[in-house]
Amino acid sequence: MSESTFTKPLSRRIMLQGAGIAALTPLLAACSGQPSSVSTSTLGSIKPITYWDMSWGPAEYTKRAEALVTSFKNPVRYQSIPWANYLETFASAITSKTGPSASTGAGAQAFYFAEQGVIASADNLIAQMKKNGDADFLPGMLENMKFQGHYVAVPWMMDVRALYYRKSLLEKAGAEPPTDWDSLRTTCAALKKIGSYGFGMACGTGTHGWHAVVAIIVNNGEGLFTKDGQPHCVTDRNVEAVEFLLELSKSGYIDKAAVSYTNDNVNADFVSGHVGMVINQPSMRSYFPADTKDDVLVTDPLVGPHGDKGTLIGIGNIMMYKESPSIESTEQFLLWYMNEMRVFWQKGLVATLPVRKSFLDMPEIKSDPTSVAIANKWQPVARILGYKSPALFPQLNAVDGGVALQTFTQGIVQAKLDAKGLLTQLQQGLEKIIPAK
Amino acid sequence: MRQSGKVIDGQRLTWAAMVAPTVVLLILVNIIPLFSAVNSAFHNSTLLNTGEFVGVQNFSEALADPAFWSAVRFTVIFVASGVFGGWIVGFALALTLRSTLFGKSAFRLLLLLPWVVPIVVSARSWNFLTASQSSLIPQLFTHLGWGDGLLLADPTTAAITVCVYKIWCTFPFMMVMAASALEAVDESVYEASVLDGAGRWQQLVWVVLPLVARPTYISWLLMGIFCVNDFPTIYLLTGGGPVGATTTVVVYAYQQMFQNLQLGQGVAIALIMTVVVALVAVVFYRQIRRAHV
Repeated sequence: MSESTFTKPLSRRIMLQGAGIAALTPLLAACSGQPSSVSTSTLGSIKPITYWDMSWGPAEYTKRAEALVTSFKNPVRYQSIPWANYLETFASAITSKTGPSASTGAGAQAFYFAEQGVIASADNLIAQMKKNGDADFLPGMLENMKFQGHYVAVPWMMDVRALYYRKSLLEKAGAEPPTDWDSLRTTCAALKKIGSYGFGMACGTGTHGWHAVVAIIVNNGEGLFTKDGQPHCVTDRNVEAVEFLLELSKSGYIDKAAVSYTNDNVNADFVSGHVGMVINQPSMRSYFPADTKDDVLVTDPLVGPHGDKGTLIGIGNIMMYKESPSIESTEQFLLWYMNEMRVFWQKGLVATLPVRKSFLDMPEIKSDPTSVAIANKWQPVARILGYKSPALFPQLNAVDGGVALQTFTQGIVQAKLDAKGLLTQLQQGLEKIIPAK
Repeated sequence: MRQSGKVIDGQRLTWAAMVAPTVVLLILVNIIPLFSAVNSAFHNSTLLNTGEFVGVQNFSEALADPAFWSAVRFTVIFVASGVFGGWIVGFALALTLRSTLFGKSAFRLLLLLPWVVPIVVSARSWNFLTASQSSLIPQLFTHLGWGDGLLLADPTTAAITVCVYKIWCTFPFMMVMAASALEAVDESVYEASVLDGAGRWQQLVWVVLPLVARPTYISWLLMGIFCVNDFPTIYLLTGGGPVGATTTVVVYAYQQMFQNLQLGQGVAIALIMTVVVALVAVVFYRQIRRAHV
């Protein structure tokens, strides 16, 4: 019986043919197919631009944002980018010339990339917004976007850290919402008596515990940087602020477990009543079931020991990249998008607040007393991480989420070093990241 | 002769064609990035640009940094725990599984689970068990009167927890290696040792261990390299904290590169680690060659 194709031994020629087909297959696959989210257009001469967007809310946010972006009259490709290793994602894409035309990102990301020459100036975009009457930003928002004399991004949202409390727990403890540091101390002591921790924090890797620490430092009228953006941590006011936090920790008002807590851990503790107060972002109430949301209230900004008020603010912004196929098309898209993105707050899809006055006047925001309190009372006294620098600067990208701040915050919860020691460590850590001018 | 020469040349060509894709891939994926990384270590690199040439400044700054030496210290502890702790547990289990036990096969399968389960899942599970006041382990400690049981909140207990977790992850591999090594030991050797009057312990120490020395050293070397390069175990469980207490050299290199955005220094640290591991591997390899049956 003759051998069939299926039974004859594998020859060298067949193996080489098979290997060639196997090598070509992925190449052919890469050449085919369309991007998943591209708006259609009959204007074939217009080059599609790409818009990369971080995850600013639940899955519904991403769906809505994609639908919104791709509904633009000209072709726009939408891509959702996860926060994990986001900077490397952007850097790899930019280096390989596959980066976006515009994107949201971390607060100082635009400055980091602007320093390396890849960000397109937003001067024209902002001028057009002003001409259209769309540049109704809250005071100070636009000024924070300047780097070397040019706007490098346009602000779109603000993440203001406010002090939240559980009304029912404070009533149970017989305490009043704190108004200054002394009453914060008193309220924490009262909460401890009923088995709750007064001051919630999350200090694990990638968490926001340092936001609460910097908020207290700023509340005392100081910051971690000079006006030139140089680290300047060991000041009398900062020592005072850290001593206050150390006192809270040593008195048992901060859970020792917080040193390794994730953001989810502390939010869960606040919902369960294990923690009575927490400095957190505007969406704090969203973690609660509908029937207990009203138990979560926000205090007025605390008055520091020298009469200062202050908290930390993160300003989310949208940046354009020089390698965009068309800066003009990108600007046209963003002019439209900056107005249309109001839908995110109308549908309650983002955890932050808008920076435009017209958006803050929307009924969906006005009807939420927490959002109104944050916008009207906390935002005016809020300072950026780089305070006392007047604007964000590139090195803040390494400070935000960096090891120095994380270790500093964990050290406060551990309370094994004194305030000056912790701030000195922080100073040394920041000096490694920020070259001296 | 000419016909066979033609056949040999043809075979060589086929062999080269078969190997070529792998070599190309190796160069593209390993060699070129390695040269690029080494280049970065001598420059003031950022994520986008190589930056200016700084000579050995990145290396000298890393070697002068107390945080680097703290990471080295913990790396040694972590590797020793993973290698020797995992080996002791794995070897003991391999010996136990040689005896006739009811449900031995099922038991052997279950014992592989810590190695088989993705590290993300097991790290999150351990974090869930230990991280907060309401977690199971702290609750147990509190009920037993052993303190608050917040193992990840204190630098010392966090370091111990990470090492125990590493042993948990490594013992199945060591058990498999030990089991296969023990299978190669002839039964007649055991019988001869019994005839010579050796007790159980003497049999183990003077007969079995020398016979399985070579595969043992190989497993130590492999596990040592795995432990040195192990990033997810630590990063997912503690992130290198608290206050850097569980930071190993590879985690420290990552932090320098991707959190502090000091790319050049991060790569320099990784290169220092690579050179040290390579030297240790060479020394160990000589020891393996000396170990003989």
